Amino acid sequence: MASNVTPIERLDDRPIGISPAAIEAEFTRLWRETAEPGVDDSSVRLRTMNFVAVGPETWTVERFERVMESLPQRHPCRGVLAVTSPDRTKLEASISALCWRTTTGGRHVCSEEVVLKAGPNDQLALASSVLALLVTELPLNVWVVGPIDLESHLASELIDSAEIVFVDTADATDITVTLQSVLSARRKHDVAVCDLAWRRLAGWRALVAQFFDGQAGVERLSDLQSIEITGGAGISSEMLLLAGWFISCLGLSLAEAERDASSISATLYDRSRGVTVKLSGSGEPAARVTEIKVRAAGGEFVVQSHAESAHMHVREEWPDRFDHRTVDQVATDDASVFAEALDDASDLPIFLDAARGALSLLLASSQLS
Amino acid sequence: MTSETPVNPLRAGMRLHRAPDACAAVVFGATGDLTARKLMPALYNLARERLLPGGFSVVGFARRDWTDEQFRAVMKEAVAKFSREPLQEELWDSFARGLHYVSSTFNDPAGYARLGERLNAQDDAHGSAGNRLFYLATPPDAYATIAQNLGAAQLAQPRPGSWTRLVVEKPYGRDLPSARKLDAAIGEVFRERYIYRIDHYLGKETVQNIMVFRFGNGIFEPVWNRRYVDSVQVSVGETVGVEGRGGYYEESGGLRDMVQNHLMQVLALVAMEPVASFGGDAVRDEKAKVFHAIKPIDDIDRDTVRAQYVAGAILGEMVPGYREEEGVAPDSRTETYTALRLEVENWRWSGVPFYLRVGKRLPKRATEVAITFKTAPLQLFRQMGGDNPTPNLLVLRIQPDEGISLRFGAKVPGTRSDVRPVNMDFRYGSSFGVDPPEAYERLLLDAMLGDSTLFTRWDGVEASWELLTPVLDAWADGASPLKQYEAGSWGPDAARELMERDGREWHRM
Repeated sequence: MASNVTPIERLDDRPIGISPAAIEAEFTRLWRETAEPGVDDSSVRLRTMNFVAVGPETWTVERFERVMESLPQRHPCRGVLAVTSPDRTKLEASISALCWRTTTGGRHVCSEEVVLKAGPNDQLALASSVLALLVTELPLNVWVVGPIDLESHLASELIDSAEIVFVDTADATDITVTLQSVLSARRKHDVAVCDLAWRRLAGWRALVAQFFDGQAGVERLSDLQSIEITGGAGISSEMLLLAGWFISCLGLSLAEAERDASSISATLYDRSRGVTVKLSGSGEPAARVTEIKVRAAGGEFVVQSHAESAHMHVREEWPDRFDHRTVDQVATDDASVFAEALDDASDLPIFLDAARGALSLLLASSQLS
Repeated sequence: MTSETPVNPLRAGMRLHRAPDACAAVVFGATGDLTARKLMPALYNLARERLLPGGFSVVGFARRDWTDEQFRAVMKEAVAKFSREPLQEELWDSFARGLHYVSSTFNDPAGYARLGERLNAQDDAHGSAGNRLFYLATPPDAYATIAQNLGAAQLAQPRPGSWTRLVVEKPYGRDLPSARKLDAAIGEVFRERYIYRIDHYLGKETVQNIMVFRFGNGIFEPVWNRRYVDSVQVSVGETVGVEGRGGYYEESGGLRDMVQNHLMQVLALVAMEPVASFGGDAVRDEKAKVFHAIKPIDDIDRDTVRAQYVAGAILGEMVPGYREEEGVAPDSRTETYTALRLEVENWRWSGVPFYLRVGKRLPKRATEVAITFKTAPLQLFRQMGGDNPTPNLLVLRIQPDEGISLRFGAKVPGTRSDVRPVNMDFRYGSSFGVDPPEAYERLLLDAMLGDSTLFTRWDGVEASWELLTPVLDAWADGASPLKQYEAGSWGPDAARELMERDGREWHRM
């Protein structure tokens, strides 16, 4: 994540009393300490949102901490991590200040983090603590980490007040159930849902869209022949969402589909013209997309990237010319994906359409094969 | 042209709703400082961030006898030195494949014929379909020559279904007659809608934020008028002198170099009426209305100040006076400090003075807009034994330490009703923590997209010269005599007196 600030430094991380009042008192003490002359007389506490992550402790803690190592620099926040573990017998809390120094002005800017860890019997107490810790005048963004359970007591309490609920369909054990659950939560809670897996595709989608820009590009759409999406092992949610994006944006209707362990093949129709879509796992261990190949109007357009590469390669082949170029890979670490999604949420409706398209492909291929 | 481009459905929901068409950018003055410091790093960063179209290429055009390879090597060095992001070899190699060079003087028709052949070859190789962006990164005296040679070589006229655009750097003339002459010469070849006059201030995030601040929030616009605003100051302070550009500065001075373009544009953004949309010419229409509403300065001795710095100390170091700088005449009359008092005579601003100042070798580098509000109608807290509240002050900091602060009065804790001014402060660096793109990245992308909102239009340029040319003429005749100020001071006493006459003072930057 490009930034003009120093890395985040964690100022404090200690267990404290679990009541919200005790937690707020600890923060007050912490801010007083950092503001003491001789310690740092220019510390500024900055919060522009509540950022709450909920999930099972095993999945969530490390991933949340990594996000909080850089997200506050772009979106200063009160971060609250609420996790549960079957091994815990009581609710525990700790707080930290996450501080960094800006290069312009050199100010010491701090966000804050609360970690709440609960056992299986503490769900109600955990939910009430989290709700009491939210800063009232700031927006709430909720991240449901790991296998997606949007109907747990805590998640559903938070989702009703959230601006955006973040999920990662790449974590799904059953993609069909997960996509259905996401679409259902959107309907039930009338909340914006953002899928990190979808957002990781931003660079892919932008590059593929370039092939269809301008007068000549849009004309190519009416002569679209095939779309091939290749990824890692098996069929990932990212591959499905890309296919769903083509289906929904281009208004394609599904005619037939078949599926095996590592691929889905489908024929879609744009009015009377057939377009073939193929999703295949390449066998690479990472479940990310590695190549998209589109054929249209006698030309072939390929975007490639590999997990270890920081770049994306674009190739355009026509009977009379060949063009290729290399561009930066879009950052796909969680913190960067969150930062971008919070800056610009205008593609959330497109995600829902893509999810519906992906689901229709999944269901059709299951039924027909 | 761009509005006729059909919509790509795959762009729905993307931040860039439209992408530039495949095109070739021709940079005249490709061996110059602007190309190395600004243009090439901006293009490289656009390519890196996937914002350039496939089939994009650059043709450098300049007098030096370079090959494509030499051009690529020099540009690589420039990007490595001046890009905001480090140069990455693999990305550079990909970008550099699209860099080409044509060696020619600006007035040699054969050079333009070679350019045409090269561009046709680019179209065949890259599918750029005859779309051309001509960029004049040359000394201004070459602008008309280049435009007319492009016309003579049939390069200015787009093919059916393609476009040609001309990007022109400032200064656009050095007074009203020369600006009109230049515009007539360029206008013979390019229609106004295809001319993109760059004022890089308009590409700055914080300048664009003036519109967001005003029109994206509900609480400020209702008080943004003569009923609530006492006065507006637009200030640009520089700690540097002429930095080896004495020859250039001798010909321009602060009024031409900064006020006629940058400060007037900022003033227009502060004073303009809300727009119904950001499409087409809406913003430029409103800015033009502001320029036309500015009252001509009838008392130039009273309402203008010009001054030149003499030796002094800046940031703890002694520096020479302006006349001792390299390339500056020992008896130079060029102003390095300018202050003006203007009035925008329209329904919204009648009676509210706008003060503009710009100076070199001031104690601090800062660009800001300071809006002072009228005090509360009843001085209630003075009657109760408290202090007289200082007026509310809104400061839009354009650079550095970009941000916005609002000063208001607050009760001092205690039994008395003492009031003390306090500040609410927003800083970009703290809240967003990212490096904004360079102004040239935004402006180059907009020019390729055919969005001229952030470029100046001829009627605005002309109106600005109409206002300021009489000042230049009067100064040449000895009005508002040139004052001196010590380097490291806030300018001449005359600038302070200009404010004191109105019962005001300059905001300390």
